[in-house]
Amino acid sequence: MYFVLTALRAGPLHGHAISKSIKELSRGRVQPSVGTLYGILERLNERGVIAVDREETVNGRNRRYFRITDEGQALVEAEARRMQEAAALVLRPSGA
Amino acid sequence: MTAPGDPLERRYRRLLLAYPRPYRRAHGDELLDVLLEDAAPGRRMPVLREAWGLLTGGLRSRVTHQATGSAWEDGLHLGVTAVAVANLAALLPYARELPLWTLLSASALLAILRGRLRTAFALTLLTAVKAVALASGRQWFDVTVLPVHPGGLSGRALFQDSDPFLVAAGYAIVLIGLVVLASLRRPARARSWWWWAAVVPVAWAGPAWMAEGTEHPISLSRMAVEAVALGLAVTGGYLARDHRWAMASGIYLLVVLGELAFHVQQLGRQHLAYAGILVLLTTAAAFVPLRQRRHCLD
Repeated sequence: MYFVLTALRAGPLHGHAISKSIKELSRGRVQPSVGTLYGILERLNERGVIAVDREETVNGRNRRYFRITDEGQALVEAEARRMQEAAALVLRPSGA
Repeated sequence: MTAPGDPLERRYRRLLLAYPRPYRRAHGDELLDVLLEDAAPGRRMPVLREAWGLLTGGLRSRVTHQATGSAWEDGLHLGVTAVAVANLAALLPYARELPLWTLLSASALLAILRGRLRTAFALTLLTAVKAVALASGRQWFDVTVLPVHPGGLSGRALFQDSDPFLVAAGYAIVLIGLVVLASLRRPARARSWWWWAAVVPVAWAGPAWMAEGTEHPISLSRMAVEAVALGLAVTGGYLARDHRWAMASGIYLLVVLGELAFHVQQLGRQHLAYAGILVLLTTAAAFVPLRQRRHCLD
């Protein structure tokens, strides 16, 4: 979920581009299957965290481009801050 | 890009059948497009991780598609359906002796599955009157030689260890449920044809796991079907955070516990284990929708 929203901060993307972006952002650690990725996309879409930006037909098949909403932007930033604070508990210099 | 009829495309299309039809129609090609773009050239078999992702994604999608509309109305309809399956299963081994009444009971189940509530009520009422008459040794509607011996599936006579009150209670739950649903004047959802697959295993008296001569024996096949159905109810409640499956499980459990309570003097450890499994699964179905959210998408 975090990597999907992070990938979409760069602009609207379709499923395959989101998948590639997640792999790059996570340095290959996170590679959701297509079934898992679309499950996440549908739930994010239902909850208004992302939205369908436009639809295109490529090779005779429909392709949806998703974009992050303001709510999604706020959510992923809050999550990043939370993780940063949690990481600081371990990574700050000892005695600080 | 693959050619139409490519083995990999064909196999992925088959896996996409895990998704509900409306979703497949709207987005099946889109998922297929991503799967084929990711595939290595010349690959003929789906990647195992992708196959598993499609099966679990499809199951989750099916569950969430079911969890729409009023939970209690749908839960009541599901519960009524489950009890109607049990009522038909009770008559099925005696279909050769009671062809008309078994057919009527099957027609009642069909009407319930298709959401034809008024027709289902009339058919269930007719079957109920005859079943209670047979359980109490009365000859209503037509003459039946009693006791009614089974043609297969079971070795016991019809309602041998039951009681007219218990038989009436099973039908009454279906009838009351149908009256409540019909009074709402809203169309009931058509249910899956898979319900028919449960009828024979519930009717079948084997494989036997209780000692011969046990009063009110429960067959392993019936217990397996009930455990699988309630297990699915727990899964549905967990994934969709919805109580409809718990409600249906509770209605069915009421009928089972009523039967066991009637035979309380003859119950053994196996009966208690059986009841324990059903109570545990129903309780789990009631509580899993309340689980805490770990993040905004959970």
